[in-house]
Amino acid sequence: MIEIKGFLETSFLDWPGKISSVFFLPGCNFRCPYCHNHPLVFEPGQFASISLKEVLRRLDALKDWIDGVCLTGGEPTLHADLPLLIRQIKERGFPVKLDTNGSNPEMLEKLIDKREVDFIAMDVKAPLDPFSYRRSAGCSIDLALISKSIEMLKQGKVEYQFRMTVVPPLHSEKEIRTLGQQLKAGRRMTLQNFNPENPLDPSLRNTLPYDPKLLKEMEKRVQEMV
Amino acid sequence: MASVIEMKEERKDLKEEFETTDMALFVRTSEESMNDWNRQRIVDALIRETYIDVDTAKEIAREVEDLIVTSKIKMITAPLVRELVDTKLVERGLEQARKMHTRLGMPLYDVDQLILHPNKENANVPHGPEATNLTLAERIKKEYALLSVFSQETADAHMRGDIHLHDLGFVDRPYCSGQSLEYIKRFGLSLPNSIAMAKPAKHPEVLLAHMVKFAAGLQSNFAGAIGWDAVNLFFAPYLTGMSDRDLEQLAQMMIFEFSQQAVARGGQAIFTDLNLYWEIPKHFENVPAIGPGGEKTGKNYSDYMKESQRFAWALFNVFMEGDGSGRPFFFPKPLVHITEKFFQTPGHMDFLHHICEVASEKGNTYFIFDRGETAKISECCRLSFKLDQTDLEDAKEPWKMRYCALQNVTLNLPRIAYLAKGDDTRLFSKLTEFIEIAVKAHLEKKVFIEKLLSIGERGPLALLAMNRDGSPYLRMHRASFLIGMVGLNELVQVHTGQEMHQSRQAFKFGLKVIAHMKLLVDKLCERYGMHFVLEQTPAESTAYRFAKLDLKFHSPRSGHIVKGDLSKGEVYYTNSTYLNNSAVLNPIERVRQEGLFHPLIEAGALTHIWLGEAKPSRESLANFVIKTFRQTQNDQIAFSPEFTTCNACNRTSRGLRSSCSYCGSAEVDGITRITGYFTKLSSWNKGKIGELHNRYRNQAYIEAKEGGTVLKAG
Repeated sequence: MIEIKGFLETSFLDWPGKISSVFFLPGCNFRCPYCHNHPLVFEPGQFASISLKEVLRRLDALKDWIDGVCLTGGEPTLHADLPLLIRQIKERGFPVKLDTNGSNPEMLEKLIDKREVDFIAMDVKAPLDPFSYRRSAGCSIDLALISKSIEMLKQGKVEYQFRMTVVPPLHSEKEIRTLGQQLKAGRRMTLQNFNPENPLDPSLRNTLPYDPKLLKEMEKRVQEMV
Repeated sequence: MASVIEMKEERKDLKEEFETTDMALFVRTSEESMNDWNRQRIVDALIRETYIDVDTAKEIAREVEDLIVTSKIKMITAPLVRELVDTKLVERGLEQARKMHTRLGMPLYDVDQLILHPNKENANVPHGPEATNLTLAERIKKEYALLSVFSQETADAHMRGDIHLHDLGFVDRPYCSGQSLEYIKRFGLSLPNSIAMAKPAKHPEVLLAHMVKFAAGLQSNFAGAIGWDAVNLFFAPYLTGMSDRDLEQLAQMMIFEFSQQAVARGGQAIFTDLNLYWEIPKHFENVPAIGPGGEKTGKNYSDYMKESQRFAWALFNVFMEGDGSGRPFFFPKPLVHITEKFFQTPGHMDFLHHICEVASEKGNTYFIFDRGETAKISECCRLSFKLDQTDLEDAKEPWKMRYCALQNVTLNLPRIAYLAKGDDTRLFSKLTEFIEIAVKAHLEKKVFIEKLLSIGERGPLALLAMNRDGSPYLRMHRASFLIGMVGLNELVQVHTGQEMHQSRQAFKFGLKVIAHMKLLVDKLCERYGMHFVLEQTPAESTAYRFAKLDLKFHSPRSGHIVKGDLSKGEVYYTNSTYLNNSAVLNPIERVRQEGLFHPLIEAGALTHIWLGEAKPSRESLANFVIKTFRQTQNDQIAFSPEFTTCNACNRTSRGLRSSCSYCGSAEVDGITRITGYFTKLSSWNKGKIGELHNRYRNQAYIEAKEGGTVLKAG
């Protein structure tokens, strides 16, 4: 069974408008240099697992407050038994939001078709060309999979959102606009600043993130693309 | 008094036969002059200030003179002479006389330190000449209070740290005040001691100017917060027909005026609370509105909902912007009342989102929950109480609604547990004992303030004695007396071995202690006919002081109990009835559990949610606020983000960082809530710094296998 490595009981952030609980799942197939979750993702062995039973018990205690559960990682869709976990959460009456990098469209399709998830937030890393994507994801990525996931979400069978974490040396304004043009997702595309606290690539530690005001403006421009 | 005069008369006859050693000695007196040595002055002072007889006084004077002669001092100061006299009094066992003859003041070294270094007891005091004046005056008044206002028993309890008498440096003022704008709208600004009298304001800008000046006047007569009821509503009759731009301008003026009032006492900002309502509070609905010129407008307040709401909205626009460098405003504090009627008032969700956005971005918003149908008003320190029949009568003439708390006394709860040594009966009897001392302190303060007030408009508290509507501004019969607590969590920990968040039993025991306090305080109200109430003391420095004193008196036990970093001296007790700041406890549990105490605590109950860097969505916060209102008994919540403000580029970013995230400069200052208000970290005392390191900021719970918990920003 899937191991849960981290648990945040109450989040005001992860699911806009909702009070949600967040499960952190280990392992990832990407190597984004700006990842700030990496110990959990790449060395999950050093952390204790929290039993599902315990997590569900906590959820029950917060039933009147929690509007949903967010599954994040790492990359949750790497776990073949993810749908099982989702089903157990849904049985308790909680809607589920899934964070993904879009590399497993097959699983996404199943989850969407069976209406097992209520919201999918997909991280988009860079303009959709092999070079850019590879640079931002830190490894070779089959872009066809990514594009397939994007198309699937855009059909609108499930609530969705595209999130781009922007790092000034990797993502110029031009590149952000290019991706915006490719997605044409309007307000469903959001930008978030990278956190230089503890990135996977230590050389990024001295990188200044974008000025929040500039970021807001860029986001506004990207959201005008429909 | 009579006996002193008598003795003075007697002394006159003796004067001739008095001979003084002719010494080439100058005395520097406190009147800034140099006097020739005159032994008679010692005798005069002793006769004037104490009850000792002339012969003894003369004898002492002669002995002191001998001492000075033999020491061959060329220049002597009056304080030294006084101390020498005091030693002679001590030698004779004249303890009472020595106390009466005491000199208040400070060592040179201390004054030097004070002038050069900032005051860390209250982070709201900046460092500067005006602040130094304040501190110096406070020191002397503090000594005066402990020697002269309070009995020895009370003073000793304070010195030992059984209790803490707040604002001793302001012993000649009441603690805090709550009022409405109606008083100045109706009577204008006509203050005792003021050289000009202003008639009631005709324009909103003038009303604002009156409000600010009156607040400054009040701040110099009260030690603590100055609160204003339903500010947006009472401004509304002045705002009809105003454009959005003008309204926003007015809102901006109000907030900047109050945030920059560092010209007030000691260079401190006025501790201002603005109570705001989206709805028209029930008890003001049918009250005739007072408008420009202090005239009734012919309408009731319920007719001004639109203006009232627009103004509230505009105020939050200003809070959202922050100050010139994007920092949150430290003052005034906006307190929004969430009531049943709030949810029945059109547009409430938009407004809730608006104030939640400010809470997320800047943290200013305080959410006050007034549940049920009973009308409530809240004062300065969120001392809310249900309006009884006389209050509801007063509400028809809102200028009469003036409330104050006379003093705040805080109990050192962990101390009680050390003394009880695990015995329940002892614990509760000690608790009773401590409360009785607090009550005694209140009685003593009340006598003192009444004495000052009795001199009326010619006395030191002229502003509070001023009578414009048939009763003095300060309505003593409505005054409250606050009894606060620090370290309930540690009391429970010492007594039961577990902290309150660690087990249900421990938590229940905590509730039992506070319930006992509430019961006792209610009984004492009846016994004395006074309004004692429990309060969650903000304890900005008290939590630190108690911890330090207990490390001294109850070591080694206390070493395991106090929170913070012992090696750095950054120690504290958990504030009031709060759960451990570092406990990994999600905001829901914290709001729910801490809220269980709130119905027992009538004044100042609040749960903090430390956000850290996270910037939640306004919809999620609104969602949380509504659930808190519906599903808990919590009285008040505030979300506290953290900021880093750069002194080099003047920009402000999210989170506490060691360098500016815009320009990289290390010339930065952190900003977050210390207790009930925002301030710069550089001004915090050690205890609060210790607490800051420990605050749990809603990070994810991730446990490392080799032990220890890693927390990830959520």
